[in-house]
Amino acid sequence: MAETQPRLELEAVSKQFGGLHAVEDVNLRLREGGRHGILGPNGAGKTTLFNLITGVLPTTSGRISLFGQDVTRWPTHKRTAMGMARTFQITSLFPKLTVLDNVLLAVQGLRRMKLMMFRPLASYKDVYEKAEKLLTDVNFWHLRDQQVRNLSHGEQRQLEVVLGLASDPKVLLLDEPSAGLATGESREMADFLNSLDKDLSILIIEHDLDVLFGVVSQITVLHYGKVLLEGPSDQVRNDQQVNEIYLGKG
Amino acid sequence: MSRLSSELKQVFWVIAAFGALGAVTPFFDDYTQTIITRALVFAIMAMSLDILMGYTGLRSMGHGVYFAFGAYSTAILVTKVKGVGLLTLFGAGLGLSFLVAAFLGFLAIRAVGVYFLMITLSFSMVVWGLAYRWHTVTGGDNGIAGILPPPLFGISLQNPVAFFYFTLGVFLICLGLLYLLVKSPFGKTLVGIREGEARMKMLGYNTWLHKYLAFVISGTFAGISGVLWAMLNRFIAPTDVELVTSVEALLMVALGGPATLVGPAIGAAIVMFLRYWVSTFIERWYLILGATYIITILYAREGILGKVEGLLAWRKAGREAGAAIPRVQKQPEEIRT
Amino acid sequence: MKAKWLVLLAAAGLALGAGAAQGAPREVRIGFIAPLTGPFAQVGKDQVNGFILYLEQNKYKMGPLTVKFTAEDYEAKPALAVAKAQKLIQRDKVHVFLGGLLAPTGYALAPVADQFKRPYLSPAPAGEDQTQRKRHKYYARLSFTSGQCQHALGDWAYEQGHRRIATVGADYAFGYESVGGFQRGFEDKGGKVVAKVWPRLGTVDFGPYLPLIPRNVDAVYALMVGPMSLAFPKQFKAAGFKMALLGGTTSTDEFILPNMGDEAIGYVTTSHYSAAIDTPKNHAFVKDFQKRFGKMASYYAENSFTAALYINEALKRTGYNPDKIEVWLEELKKIRVDAIRGPVYLDSYANPVQNCYIRKVERVPGDRNNLGVKANSLWNVVIKTYPAVSQFWNYKPEDFLKHPVYDKDFPPCKFCGQ
Repeated sequence: MAETQPRLELEAVSKQFGGLHAVEDVNLRLREGGRHGILGPNGAGKTTLFNLITGVLPTTSGRISLFGQDVTRWPTHKRTAMGMARTFQITSLFPKLTVLDNVLLAVQGLRRMKLMMFRPLASYKDVYEKAEKLLTDVNFWHLRDQQVRNLSHGEQRQLEVVLGLASDPKVLLLDEPSAGLATGESREMADFLNSLDKDLSILIIEHDLDVLFGVVSQITVLHYGKVLLEGPSDQVRNDQQVNEIYLGKG
Repeated sequence: MSRLSSELKQVFWVIAAFGALGAVTPFFDDYTQTIITRALVFAIMAMSLDILMGYTGLRSMGHGVYFAFGAYSTAILVTKVKGVGLLTLFGAGLGLSFLVAAFLGFLAIRAVGVYFLMITLSFSMVVWGLAYRWHTVTGGDNGIAGILPPPLFGISLQNPVAFFYFTLGVFLICLGLLYLLVKSPFGKTLVGIREGEARMKMLGYNTWLHKYLAFVISGTFAGISGVLWAMLNRFIAPTDVELVTSVEALLMVALGGPATLVGPAIGAAIVMFLRYWVSTFIERWYLILGATYIITILYAREGILGKVEGLLAWRKAGREAGAAIPRVQKQPEEIRT
Repeated sequence: MKAKWLVLLAAAGLALGAGAAQGAPREVRIGFIAPLTGPFAQVGKDQVNGFILYLEQNKYKMGPLTVKFTAEDYEAKPALAVAKAQKLIQRDKVHVFLGGLLAPTGYALAPVADQFKRPYLSPAPAGEDQTQRKRHKYYARLSFTSGQCQHALGDWAYEQGHRRIATVGADYAFGYESVGGFQRGFEDKGGKVVAKVWPRLGTVDFGPYLPLIPRNVDAVYALMVGPMSLAFPKQFKAAGFKMALLGGTTSTDEFILPNMGDEAIGYVTTSHYSAAIDTPKNHAFVKDFQKRFGKMASYYAENSFTAALYINEALKRTGYNPDKIEVWLEELKKIRVDAIRGPVYLDSYANPVQNCYIRKVERVPGDRNNLGVKANSLWNVVIKTYPAVSQFWNYKPEDFLKHPVYDKDFPPCKFCGQ
């Protein structure tokens, strides 16, 4: 039962910092199961775009819709509640907490019990089971009592995605999931992303082209905040202009 | 789960320690008893601040405010209303500090870091000014004397030992409730906010609400220490609620170990011991307090209890590394770090 | 500087011999709570030094008793004073404790005295109500009430021909009570207080307050404390005010005086003490204090010295038995003592009845009376003595107590704006 309307839709979204147009007039649609990549050199406005979509920054103009609903002025946590999750380019886990606590926080994020004050967290079986499942799926269960800051960088990047998945999102925004990973680890990351639920809609910023082309079917190229090109990955891969500006090869 | 049992062990040791304190205190001389009682009263204050400062990561310079409302409401009720009971005193003190925290929270919570510090500091100054200038109600500069504690179920609390046990009881109730709080799902979210507020928002938390609730709870518990302080000292004056009180509470938390609950209680005990005991031998006891603080900052940023816990955990990790392996099916070598 | 004020003296053998023979108590333990650190530390030291001077002069003896003296610091925090009083009573087992500087500490300590049935003799806190509407059984004051001598100054001001006066008083209880006393003494004679200005306690820039003082008054009464006392006369003169300047106990006390300049000359204030009292007793006191502690004796020091004198006298008349607290305390409240400041006895409300001195600040060339004080110093030269002034002025206590305690609005300013 495919949904008809896009899960995430941007219409003429712009963001200005003073005189600087960080994001200008960006349109984008992400449907159920869509895998959409965002490409662009540093400073092209990719992360700013994510911040606009998630509500970390307010837009200057334009409209953002989630599941057909206008969320342009909504705070972050309410967008999350609708089924959107995000990971960060710079790992933003809770470094001094254990792996399990990180996941528990992510799991309870959309549950009402998060405000429960006088019952131990340890007594919530379902939350624990969910966390255990998430960690077992990625083979992290044995690391549960480790402080996150003691994990390797690759493990932290993966946990970053696990946290994004904990709220069972329908739309997942990944900001350079393979940033700082070695080649082998990048391939693992790509496999991991491909193993995710097929219905999940993913918007991904990625510099590692192997990962990007291995995961997405559609790509938007940003240049100085503007959309330079949007199309299927093959088309983008072969586009002359993109190759010159971004890929740096003739 | 090993994690649960080690927590139970901690709880056991804490209960044992306070049980021992309850058992030996009557054998100390009267003055030592009152110092211990004072330490317990301020321990409640420090623990309540720990919720905000240690767990949530919001350093407040305004904790004297709730202390002031607790203490002054008690002082005024005891001296103006004949036969007022303990229930009324705690009800009024708690209710008032709750309302004040609920109001001030709206003003303060949006600020972060040093701005939060400055706003809460200004609350301290305002309340001190109120105590000092609102003559007709607070007695101004002269304060309010003769705050005798009413009896508890017919038992007089005017006896120092009785008042000690009463304070110990209130302290343990507070410790228990706050312990539940920090172990609750809500408590965990506070730590999450401290460690990464942006991520918490992204995970679906309305972090403002969580910080606000922590602010109000923390203030309300601080009110309890004010109520007890007034009855213990039987006197309250603006000098009790000046900025120094708030700063000392901050010091107690930093000294004992933020985000450990028991640590700030230990910090409170240290400051009280220095102020009331060491000061009778060494006039410049502030120097010792300052030196202790500097040493803590330099060598034990996580506070005294935090340091001890860290050392224990480090040793334990070394011992248990081997024992943990059998539970893990894959990649056992990775945890041997 | 000594790290601790705990002083225990007397040759052990001697004390043993004197006491053991009779089986009577061999020592009297006295505690003193003063602000020894913080902004009031210097005043606090004066207080303790006054007491120590007495003890040293008497070789730490009161009759056959050895004095064990313990001083505690309370940082000018009343609540801490309470704790230190408990410490003195419970741990040091003192027979009597003294202390406090400002009124709040007095109010805080008196209940402790009753609670533990241990006398508290107040050597400074001047809160009126402590010996009026809020009395305690085990409490006696050996200093003065805020308004006590101010009544006399009001009376004197009228006799000088002043009819319209403005008051400027530090905005807190001691200020209200001092101004209240002055106003009553002055208006009872027929004078009019036409403006009352209340600068914040600790004000050193009187710019905002000076314009509130009417220029058409005969005199200005200024009750200042601490740094305010230094700043006010200068700025008052600089603003072009030419009328007479009057003041209260703390406006030119001997603590402030050495730091004042020529602007203070002619300033008329009142107190129950002045270092310039011309009696052999006072000359000796000022000289000894100067020699021992290197500074001019202040009323803080004199109060403590007199307190020691009082304790000794009360013990002497009851057979030197400090354990019989009620007995010697009862006696203490009855006796008349020839103190440095002049004759003193307590009224039935446990406040001293004593001389009030009207004093004029003068620069005295050379070393006045050869007391060892720095040459060309300023002195509070006594120009009139009101003998045996009570805290109730010339009212009957019952009548006086019908009124509320002096406050910002009492006595009401009936002539304000006229």
